[in-house]
Parts: sequence; C-alpha cells; structure tokens
Amino acid sequence: MTDRRSWLLRRLVLGVAQTAGVVVLVFALTEALPGDAAVALAGDAPDPERVERIREVMGLDRPVAERFGEWAAGLVRGDLGVSLVSGRPVTEYLAAGFGPTVLLAGLTMALLVPVAVGLGVLAARREGGRADRVISTVTLGVYAVPEFALGVLLTVVFALWLGWLPPTAVGYGSGLLGHPAVLVLPVLVLLARPVCSVSRLVRAGMIDAMASSYTAQARRYGVAESRIRWTHALPNAAAPAVQQLARTVDWLLGGVVVVEALFVIPGLGTVLMDAVAARDIPVVQGLAVVFGLVTVAVNVGADLVTHDLAPRTGVSA
Amino acid sequence: MSRPVARVDDLRVEVDGRALVDGVSFTVLPGRCTALVGPSGSGKSTTGLALLGEYPAGARVSGTVDVAGPAGYVPQNPAAALNPARRAGALLADIARAGGGGRAERAGRVRAALRAAQLPDPEQVLRKHPHQLSGGQQQRVVIAQALLSGAPVLVADEPTTGQDALTKRRVVDELRAVLARGVAVVLLSHDLDVVRELAGHVVVLRDGRTSESGPTARILSAPGHPRAADMPAAAVPVRTDGPPEPDGRGAAPALRVEGVTAWHGRRRTGPVVLHDLSLTLGAGRCLAVVGRSGSGKTTLARCLAGLHRRWSGRALLAGEPLPRSVRDRSREHLAAVQYVFQDARASFDEYRPVLEQVARTAVRLRGADPDEARTEALSALTGVGIGADTASRPPGALSGGELQRAALVRALLARPRVLLCDEITSGLDPVARKDVCALLAGLTTGSGNAFSPREGTSLVVVTHDLSVAAGLADDIAVVDEGRVVESGAAGQMLSAPRHPFTRRLLEAMPSLAGAVRGPSA
Repeated sequence: MTDRRSWLLRRLVLGVAQTAGVVVLVFALTEALPGDAAVALAGDAPDPERVERIREVMGLDRPVAERFGEWAAGLVRGDLGVSLVSGRPVTEYLAAGFGPTVLLAGLTMALLVPVAVGLGVLAARREGGRADRVISTVTLGVYAVPEFALGVLLTVVFALWLGWLPPTAVGYGSGLLGHPAVLVLPVLVLLARPVCSVSRLVRAGMIDAMASSYTAQARRYGVAESRIRWTHALPNAAAPAVQQLARTVDWLLGGVVVVEALFVIPGLGTVLMDAVAARDIPVVQGLAVVFGLVTVAVNVGADLVTHDLAPRTGVSA
Repeated sequence: MSRPVARVDDLRVEVDGRALVDGVSFTVLPGRCTALVGPSGSGKSTTGLALLGEYPAGARVSGTVDVAGPAGYVPQNPAAALNPARRAGALLADIARAGGGGRAERAGRVRAALRAAQLPDPEQVLRKHPHQLSGGQQQRVVIAQALLSGAPVLVADEPTTGQDALTKRRVVDELRAVLARGVAVVLLSHDLDVVRELAGHVVVLRDGRTSESGPTARILSAPGHPRAADMPAAAVPVRTDGPPEPDGRGAAPALRVEGVTAWHGRRRTGPVVLHDLSLTLGAGRCLAVVGRSGSGKTTLARCLAGLHRRWSGRALLAGEPLPRSVRDRSREHLAAVQYVFQDARASFDEYRPVLEQVARTAVRLRGADPDEARTEALSALTGVGIGADTASRPPGALSGGELQRAALVRALLARPRVLLCDEITSGLDPVARKDVCALLAGLTTGSGNAFSPREGTSLVVVTHDLSVAAGLADDIAVVDEGRVVESGAAGQMLSAPRHPFTRRLLEAMPSLAGAVRGPSA
C-alpha cells in the first residue's frame, strides 16, 4: 500500500534527522564541558605549557567546525576515535561492553513480554476481582521500590542468607551465558519495574477493550470469550504497551548503570562509569552517540509495531 | 402465514425503579420489517437490545422475548462495531469458523455474505482496516456479519440518522436486500420516510409504552393517537414568509464569500475540497447551504469560522475582509462569526456546569462582567426552555436537544453578526429538532424567543436535510463536489429546481417534494 510506504518513508527520514540531531548535540555538550581532554590528560598539577603542547598534539587548538567535521566523518566510517587513557579505539570498549548488556536486555525482554501481558490480561478478566486486586496491589508496591534497594534486598536474601545464587558476576568475565545462576538476580531486578508498568497498561487497555462495542458485537455472534480476549481485545490493548516496551528496551540497552554496578557486570553501564571517572571524553562521546542511536532505532521499531496495531497513528513529529 | 422469528410479549425493563420499557409486545415475521418509532428516550433502543438479549446494567426484566436464534445488530454508528486494530475481515472469519467447514469454504461464505450485503468486491474490503472504509462500506460489513451468522432477525438502530438523502436511499436498498434473503429486520428509527418505505408493521413507542401498533399504512397515514399525529408533523413546515428581498444593492450583505478555494494537507497540491466558491449572505437573512456528506459544505463553514486555514479567496464581513485563520482574528471578529457544531455534546466540557460554559462566551468575547454574564446566560437559557436547575448540571445530565439549544445560546451570547450552524439538527429526534428549528427561525425574524438581536443576526445553516432548509431558509445554495451548483431564493429553488442534482435531492425526499410541489403546481 502506498499509504503505508509513504508513512514508513517519512518515519525513517525523521529517524535519520533525529540521529543527526543526536550527533550534533553530543559534540556540542562535550565541547561545552569545562576544561578539555588536554587538561584531563595533563595530570593533577598541570603545567600550562604542557597542556598547550598536548592540545597541539591532539589538534584541540583547531577551530570547532573543523574538529566536528573530522569527528562526524569518523562516525560515518565507524571510527569513534581513541581512548585518552589507554589509546585503544573507542569501538573496542563498546564491543566489550555490548555483549553483557545485550544479553541482560534480551533475557529481560524475553521474560517481560509474556509475564507482563499475562498479568495484565489476567487482572482484566474481572475488574476489581480477587486476581485484579492481588496483581494491582503487588505491581503497585513493587513499582515503588527503587532498583538499587530491590537489588540489595534480593542479594541479601538469596545470595547471603540462603546462599542459592552468587551475589555478583565477579570472576565470570564475559562467559556470563555459561553460568545462568549469575544472571538470575540481575534479571529479576531489571524485570521488576517494567513488569509493573507494562502489565498495568495492558490491564487498563484490556478493560476498555473488553467493554467496547466491537467486542460486544463479537460476543453477539457467538465468538468464544477467550478468542475475543486474545485476538480481538488484546491487539487494541497492546498499542500503548508497545510504546512502554520501547522505552524499556531503550533503558536496558542504554546501560543499566545501577544494576551493572551492583552485580559487577562488565556491560556498557560499567564502561560509561569508568570512562566518566577517568574523564575519558572520546569514550563518553562514543557511548552517548551509541545510546542516542539505540533510542532512535528502538522508537522507529515501536512506531512500526504500533502502526500495525493502531493503524490510525501518524508520525508524531 | 409463516411462523414469527421473534416475539416480544409484555416486555418490561426497569432500572432504579424507573420503567424504560413497559408492556411492549410485538411479533416479527421472516423477511418482513417491523419498525419501532418514537423520539429519543421512548424505549426503542432498550427494546431493540432486548431482542439481542442485552439489558442495561442492573435492569429488572419481566415478560418474554423469544428469538429463533441469535439476532444480528447494526448500531447507529457502524464503525463502533468494527475493531479498529483488526482488518474488516477478522470478525467475519471468526463468525464463519462457528459454521465449520474447511478454510476455503469458510472464506467462500464470507465473500458470499459481503456480496449479499451489496459489497461487490469483497477482497478489497476484507484486507482493509475499518478506518480505511467509507461509512457506507462499514455499514455493509456489519450487515454482512449478520447475514453470515445466519441470524433470523437483524436489529438496525437508526441506520439513516444524520445521513443525507442519497445515502438514505442506499441504506434502504441495503436493508431491502436483507429482507429479500428472508431475514427479518427490526428497524429502530425516527425517520418516518424510511419507515414508510421498509416497514410492514409499525410500533409507536412513547415513554416506554406502546402508544400505537399496526400496519404501516394505517399508522402513518391515519394516526389515531395524538402522539402518532405529532410524529409526522414534526417535520418542519415549509416557510413561506420571510423578510423581503433586499432591493438592489442598497444594504451591504452581512457576509460575502468570493472565490474561496480550500484544500486539505499542507500544500496547495493537496486534495481540493472547495473550488472557487462564491456566496452572498444578506443582512438578517438565513442562507441554507445544502449538499450531501462530503460535498464540502462543512469545510466552507469551517473556513468562514477560521477553523480550516487552508483556503484562498476572500470572505468579507460587512465589507471588511476576515483573516483566514481563527488565530489571526481579533476578539471582535471572533464574536462576530460564531459556530455551532453538529455534535453538541462534544462541544461542551464534560465536567463543568452548562450554565458556566454558556456564560463564558459573553465574558471572553464581549468582556462582560462574570456575574452579569451568568444572569444573562440564565435568562437566555430559560427563554429556550432550560431552567436554572438543569443549566447548573454538567452536560451529561442534559438531553441532546437541550444541549444543542444551550450551544446555540452560547454562540448567541457573543452577539454574532453571522451564526454558522453545522448540521445542528441532524442528531436530534423530530420533537427536539422542531424546538431547535423554531429557535433558529425566531432569530432572523426576531420574534418568539428570548433573543431579539440588536443589529440582527444572519444565519448560515449547513444541512443535508432539505426539509430543514425549506423550513428556515430565505435563500438556498446547493453544493456538490465543492461547487455551488445552484442558488437562489428558497421558494423558487424548492418549487422549480433547475439543476439535476437539486432535483435528485428533492426526489429523494418524497414528503417534501409533495409538500412543496403540491401548492405550486
């Protein structure tokens, strides 16, 4: 359909524009930071002459536009520059951190969708019924607990008191997948809040959809209640939940700093923390660009899915 | 005679001690149409839903409702029965599943049902989402659902309300096709023309009771009950008087529209809705803009009100050009051109008392003192039959007719020079419609209601209903596909239409054609 294709095209163009915006913004913000890489590199008691020399060596004395052009051209080639601290390419840092982060995000999403949708649909079976009251109370309660508090609590109970699970991923390096027990607690902590928010959205959507005139029409013609629930009502209820899921994916891929720090998982969040601590600006820049791109891509994906579920949505630009 | 497919016997539905339906009885024969007529709130819908086995929450039901199998249903707004997130074929496929058979056989039955519902190209409809279908296609898909399910009875709730004359024709043909297949139709309607054409048997309801029941010919031609007599008469009488024609070019017209071209979309290349359209509204006169749905008449009104910004050409208010967009208009301009919407309920804030919202215009647009505005609004509302008690409630507590009158009062409190009324009677039942029309008629003549506008308000009535135009207008402009095809004085347009399109509109309204042609012939 040309209708759909032109919508898709507009949405993709918007995505490219957003990406360009992210790149400019990241550069402008790091440029606006007080001091620069040379000052950072010069050590604790910088000698102005030494700073000046480093600046020349790094090319920081050249005009802003020139440096931006060079950096942006590098981005296009996939070259994010080199770390100030180690001299290794930034891409190497990213590649190292990406594995654990994607693993955590993937596992969390794989569990999140069925659990959250299932709970939402179950709660909506009878509004104000027992299942609804229990699910609503628990999800609201869990949602109110910050992730670091929940993480500490779970670690204390399951790792320290009961000794069932390892408290951190220290010593497992990048072979996390080979030791599933390590992942249980981090994934539980990551799941806690999204499950609550998504299931509440699904519940609200399902209650509306099951009371709507189109499900009433399906009931009139003798369509089975479970079929109405899953194939007629759920597609309507899912549209708002998809947007929330997109935000969750974005959050998961954006380096879940707290959870990674708590369980000592060497993901992107840890890379970010280390880079900020060492004032390793190229790495921070590189991460910011990657996070921005992930956000743009995830939202394009979510809009595509929503467009199929609720076909009247236009591009909200 | 064949056995009835549905029988309602002494049905009583009571909610909170109030009877919505009280002692209604009738039978429905296969392939025949039974019409339930009566104003809004008379119990038509409650009775119709009872045939589907559906009752309001907390209802106490007595009496019997027997239907030979599950009944089909076509709601007033067919879009409401279609799932916005699924393609139009989704529910049809599920209904076919109940009938068993292989995949190909089921698909065949779905296509056959769509064809029977007068959709000759089923494939095209099945793959589309409801919002991609026209209102007519949506209605036919919903009818196809009933045909596919093998329902013995189809309950059609106000299928023609708010439709233009030619669309009404189409709906009548669709329902005829349903009857021809031996399916009974229970028609809930206050549209007596359609009832006369389709129904063999009429049940007149009033306040939940049967006020009369019998063959259509007897009930609608020789009404025995005062209420039944009220129903046909509720069509607005044709107006013959009216202010004299302004002689020559003496008085400046209230509004002149010159070469208005309007389009949708951001660019000029977007779909054009109005083509170089020109009109004149005389001071103190009422101009009816008549046309079918989609002819561009609402867009015209929206352009004049500044709600639609994408147009070129000129609109002169008493000789002075109106800024294109409502954003560029001064407070005086805003007050001078007021708009009353078709859906009165949607034009009120759900949570605030009606009185407060009505009074607000006077405060915002005329800078009136809030207390004075309240008093003025209250007296005006009382003048149109909305008491202080009712007015201080939120819109939910008012009927559609009351809200539309309140909306009119709200617009008039701005003391507009031009009042644009967009289909303001089409959602109303005949009695409420008569009230609103009387209120409008009093505006230009300045008689018979609380408003005697100081410098006279000129009216633009946008409508698809020629009988409304006939009752109110001094002048009529017929619009089709964004162009004025014919315009002139109302009497002349109705008695001697020149353009074929006007003639078709007139012919599609038998009662009016008779009424108008009778005396003039």
